[in-house]
Amino acid sequence: MVRMGELAVSRVSGHLLASIGLGSCIGLVLVDDTRPLAGLAHIMLPVSNGDLESPIGKFADRAVPALLDEMTSIGASRSRLHAVLVGGAQMFSCGSSTGVDIGRRNEEATRDALAAAGITVRKTATGGSKGRTVRVHVATGLVTVKEPGADEFDLFATAAAVGRSR
Amino acid sequence: MKTSYSEMQLDALRELANIGSGTAATALSSLVGVPIDVSVPSAVALPLADAVDAAGAADSYVTAVVLPIFGDIDAIVLLLFPPEDAQTLCGLLGVDADSEVGLSALGEIGNILGSAYVGALGMMTGLELEPRPPETATDMLGAIVSSVLATGAEGTDVALMLDSDLLIEGTEASLSFMLVPSKDGVGEVLSRLGVNG
Repeated sequence: MVRMGELAVSRVSGHLLASIGLGSCIGLVLVDDTRPLAGLAHIMLPVSNGDLESPIGKFADRAVPALLDEMTSIGASRSRLHAVLVGGAQMFSCGSSTGVDIGRRNEEATRDALAAAGITVRKTATGGSKGRTVRVHVATGLVTVKEPGADEFDLFATAAAVGRSR
Repeated sequence: MKTSYSEMQLDALRELANIGSGTAATALSSLVGVPIDVSVPSAVALPLADAVDAAGAADSYVTAVVLPIFGDIDAIVLLLFPPEDAQTLCGLLGVDADSEVGLSALGEIGNILGSAYVGALGMMTGLELEPRPPETATDMLGAIVSSVLATGAEGTDVALMLDSDLLIEGTEASLSFMLVPSKDGVGEVLSRLGVNG
C-alpha cells in the first residue's frame, strides 16, 4: 500500500503496488518494459521549494527523481521505463488558497519532472472530480484503475505483459 | 516546524471541539427534531498518511461536506456521513439523499453545522472566522480526506484533526465532524487558548 507522500518499488512477481483513494494526489507508476519491475509514488503537491525534510514522495519535483533512482537500484533501465499517471482530480473547487486546481498542478509538475528525466508518459487516468484507486501488478506490468461507480479497468499493459497473457 | 503537541494543548483543543460540536449538535437537533448525542471528541496530530488512515477505511464510500474557513485562521470543516446515514438524515428531513434536493440538503446541513461550530470556535478564541459556501461530494473516503489534507499540506507533514461523532438518537446513524486547521492556524488557536508553550 503506497499512502500519501510515500513511494515503493518492487521486483517480486507476486507483489501488487496500490494507492487507494487518489483525489488531487497523483499516483505515478513506472513499469519496466521487459522485466517484472515496477514503482509507485503517491504525490501530494507539485513543488517542494527546497523542502528536504518531508516524505520523499510528497512533492512531484522530488518524488520523480527518487522513484527513478529506486527503480534503477533494483535493476530497471531508464530507456525501458513507461510512466502512467492516475489521479489529479479536482474534488473541491475551494481546495486551494491560490484558486488553482491542485490536481492539475500535480499532474503538470509530474509530467515536467518526467520530461526532464526523459521518461515517456504512456497513459493517464487523470482530471475530473472523482477519486481513483490504482493497482500495479509487478509480475506483468499491468496497471488497473478503479473509479467510483464503474468496474476496475486495465489502463496500461506493457508489451511484455500483453505477450505473456497470450 | 511544530510537529507535536503537549497533552495540555491537545486537552485544550479537545475542549474546543467539545463545545463546537455540542453547539453543532443543538443546531442539528432543531433541524431534524430528534435529540443528538455527541461523542467525546478526539484530537490527534499525525503524519499526513496516518491521518488519512485515522479517518477510516480509504476505500469506503462516504458523502462529505467540506466547509472552508477563512479569517484570522485558515481551516477546513469536514463532515462525513456513510451513505446509509446520509439516507437516514435526509429521511428525517423528508428528502431522498440520492436526489439533487437531498444532496443540497446535506450541503445545507453542513453549512448550518459548520457555521455553528465555527461560531463557537470564534467565541471561545476571539478569532474572526468566516465560513465559505460548502461543497458536497460522494466518493472514496481516502480521496476526500487526502485532497482536504493536501490543501493545507504545504509546509507541514502533520495533520491536526479534531474529530467528534454526532449520533442521531433512535437511529444507528452518526456523522463524523472534523476540524482540520492549517499549521499556522493551530498555533494561533493555541495562543488564544493560552496554551501555546
